[in-house]
Amino acid sequence: MARLETVGEALARQGVSRRAFLKFCAATTSLMALPPSMIPRVAAALEAARRPSVIWLSFQECTGCTESLTRSDSPTVEGLIFDVISLDYHHTLLAAAGEAAELDRKQAMEENWGNYLVVVDGSIPLGNPGYSTIAGISNVDMLQETVEGAAAVVAVGTCAAFGGIPHADPNPTGAVGVGEIVKDKPIINVSGCPPIPVAITGVLAQYLTFGQLPEMDELGRPKAFFGQSIHDRCYRRPFYDNGQFAESFDDEGARAGWCLFKLGCKGPITYNACATVKWNSGTSFPIEAGHPCLGCAEPNFWDKGGFYQPLSEVEWGGWTQLGTAAAAGAAIGAASALAARSKQKKAREEEA
Amino acid sequence: MTLLDFARGPAMQWAFVIFGIGVAWRLVGMFLLLRDRAKARARRDAPVSDGTRAIIMRSVPPKELEHHIVFQHVSGYAWHIGFFVTILFFGPHMPFWKSILGFGWPTLPSEVITVVGAITIAVLIALLVRRLSHPVLRVISTADDYISVIVTILPLLTGLISYANIGFDKETNLALHLLSIVLVLVWFPFGKLMHLFLAFPTRYKAGADYGRKGVAA
Amino acid sequence: MSGLGDIAVAVEITTGNVTPLLHEVRHALQRLLDTGEPTVIDLHSLPLAPGELAALENELGEGEVSATLNALGPSLLRETAVPGVWFVTHRNANEEITGQYLEIVKIPAILEAQEVDIRLGIAALSENLEQTKAQDHRDTQDGST
Ligand code: SF4
Repeated sequence: MARLETVGEALARQGVSRRAFLKFCAATTSLMALPPSMIPRVAAALEAARRPSVIWLSFQECTGCTESLTRSDSPTVEGLIFDVISLDYHHTLLAAAGEAAELDRKQAMEENWGNYLVVVDGSIPLGNPGYSTIAGISNVDMLQETVEGAAAVVAVGTCAAFGGIPHADPNPTGAVGVGEIVKDKPIINVSGCPPIPVAITGVLAQYLTFGQLPEMDELGRPKAFFGQSIHDRCYRRPFYDNGQFAESFDDEGARAGWCLFKLGCKGPITYNACATVKWNSGTSFPIEAGHPCLGCAEPNFWDKGGFYQPLSEVEWGGWTQLGTAAAAGAAIGAASALAARSKQKKAREEEA
Repeated sequence: MTLLDFARGPAMQWAFVIFGIGVAWRLVGMFLLLRDRAKARARRDAPVSDGTRAIIMRSVPPKELEHHIVFQHVSGYAWHIGFFVTILFFGPHMPFWKSILGFGWPTLPSEVITVVGAITIAVLIALLVRRLSHPVLRVISTADDYISVIVTILPLLTGLISYANIGFDKETNLALHLLSIVLVLVWFPFGKLMHLFLAFPTRYKAGADYGRKGVAA
Repeated sequence: MSGLGDIAVAVEITTGNVTPLLHEVRHALQRLLDTGEPTVIDLHSLPLAPGELAALENELGEGEVSATLNALGPSLLRETAVPGVWFVTHRNANEEITGQYLEIVKIPAILEAQEVDIRLGIAALSENLEQTKAQDHRDTQDGST
């Protein structure tokens, strides 16, 4: 394996001052959702950490995830994480394409065998290998081949994590998430459509800093970001507790910023950090903008009834169905009553 | 399909079908089996007022027993009221009613409902314990009694758990809560829960048929 | 229409987190005084309703010191009217906020010159001096001929 330079060395080479490094560490600590008291430890660990090699594979996806991460065109602190990892292959960002790019991937794999991270965005179609290919290689084949020498796989976005939109009913391409295919490597799911950028970089930062994957929930998501539901951290929660709900998008309640539960909010069953980390550099998040949470970080969010259907609304069948059932019941009731009567009558006649 | 999808969809639909068939079956069957005419005639011919009187009289304890059954009396009313307040006036329940009835009504703050729900569970459990420990009550209790009480406690319990966000994750909690309602609907026609529909009509019928028995003082 | 502010939306929501936060700050100040131990509170780790951050800033007021740090984008370190309480906002080169903290400390550590940088500074300065010395030397030699 080629000796990778340490993060400290990489930053020094880029002329980053110690103050800037400390600022970077503060941001990294907060990316990992660690308390600020951890900053010195993060600084010490980061200085000595080796830059991991990362291979990024994009399958059936809309590039939203990559976009979420790289939307900014000048260096950001999140971006710096990218500078210090060595992103050896990302076919969306790579200048080279096709077989030349594939050569890069193979080389990075060979040089870092057993130590590189594979980041995947997009789902993998199992229906027909031709649905999605890169340089003539089907997605499944490329995934299986690439993860072989990987230390771990990071599934970025709901598509890679759980199949996402391509997986939605009727799933024409037979799309699945990484976890359905890769069984023998640690997988970490950073779901969301797209995921919060800092959740992606947070996982990378964790790996970078401590050389290990963060603690995960039962769906394989980093607990630091997916440990609590939107509802748990929602600033509209006091209204939920008070029973004050917006009934439509333009009523008094909506104007007063009341809870969006009745407008279909999936916050109570969605685990993500939008309510605290927020979007667009901490500006706001959907609920703050007056729209219920769609639940995009959860498996099958696309097929969970309507986006505007309240969680407690049930598909109970309707009055016609209930009426039909009642009619059937009434018929049985009438029949059994008549049977009982004729039995009684017979008994009486026998007695007489 | 997740557990929640199952609970909200097919399970709920089947529960309503079973509920519809069962309730209609029992009501129609019972109605058609009514005696044509009471063998012992009422002393006076005032079925409406006698029937109504019976409904009221049997909803309050008889004077002679008043002091002996304070606990049963008060607790019985308390949990019935608590139960209905909880299911009818908890904000998040409103979409459930709306999806069935097409209209809604004002609700109460969730904190109030939490307290009411907790008290209701406590009373129900106290009554269940009493049923198990009281020698006479134990002998006359049937499986139906136990099932009906437990089936009634479960929605309250799962509801409180899912509101408090303990136990499983929120989604599973919510699914279990909905399944506990499925259980109520399915059990309803076949056990004592049916008294929701029968309690008042049977009292009325008895009152109307027999009027007041005994010697007029 | 000139902006979002014109839309008649009256939002007055409180999470009730501001007051407990201020209590925490008070305890931290006492600790700073008693033991010298500083405290940093990450303002993005707790839910705050729109306007609450501003309310907090208002509550703490404006102090005597304010410093700008230019490293990977501008950072503003402002002492509040409560001495020892600093409102710290880190921004990246895009001026997007990357972190907001309340630091309860005599002076935020990041403001102090860092030893590594001082060493680099010494090296750079020495090199400069060496060069000037060499230059002077050359100049005198040139002049003598
Ligand atoms: S808006 Fe959604 S997440 Fe927020 S309190 Fe209401 S239901 Fe919960």
